Amino acid sequence: MVEFLSYFCMVVGLVFWFWGTWPLLGPRSVLFKLHTLSVADILGSIAIVFGLLLKIPKELPLLLLALLSLAIWNTILGYVLAYCARRSINQ
Amino acid sequence: MNGILFLGMFLCLLIPIYEAWKADDIWQKMLAFASIQTKTSIMVLVVSVFRDDWMIGVVGVLILSVGNAALMLLANVVKRLNQVSERGFYG
Repeated sequence: MVEFLSYFCMVVGLVFWFWGTWPLLGPRSVLFKLHTLSVADILGSIAIVFGLLLKIPKELPLLLLALLSLAIWNTILGYVLAYCARRSINQ
Repeated sequence: MNGILFLGMFLCLLIPIYEAWKADDIWQKMLAFASIQTKTSIMVLVVSVFRDDWMIGVVGVLILSVGNAALMLLANVVKRLNQVSERGFYG
């Protein structure tokens, strides 16, 4: 059961990855791409890491650090990139 | 199952790599690099858990946290260069 749940989480994360990365090839604006990419990347990666956590709970500290790093750092990186790109477009 | 999962992740990684190679706009390039960074570090974590190797996992978490910080600094440097240069570096 736990094995199935772990693989399910990883497949959901992979679907999120593809869903968010695909618009990168389209003609939309940078901010649209940034939004889809950061949301899908963070959610998908958290799902994959959670799946790994279910698979091997022994590595809890390391994977918890990865989860925190994803949730905090990647969100801040999204904001910083949006701020820098916005100023550049306005000029 | 693990092989299919890893192949899916690799295919998903190819999309931002293609975008980084193709894009002319510096912000689109930065976006693609941020995506590559997140995806590779998650792949490193997946490999470390499947191989049950802590040391590879530590490298993955380091890439996740330090890579985000480096990209933030780089974005600010590029923005500053755009402000300083009259014609604007990189378009």
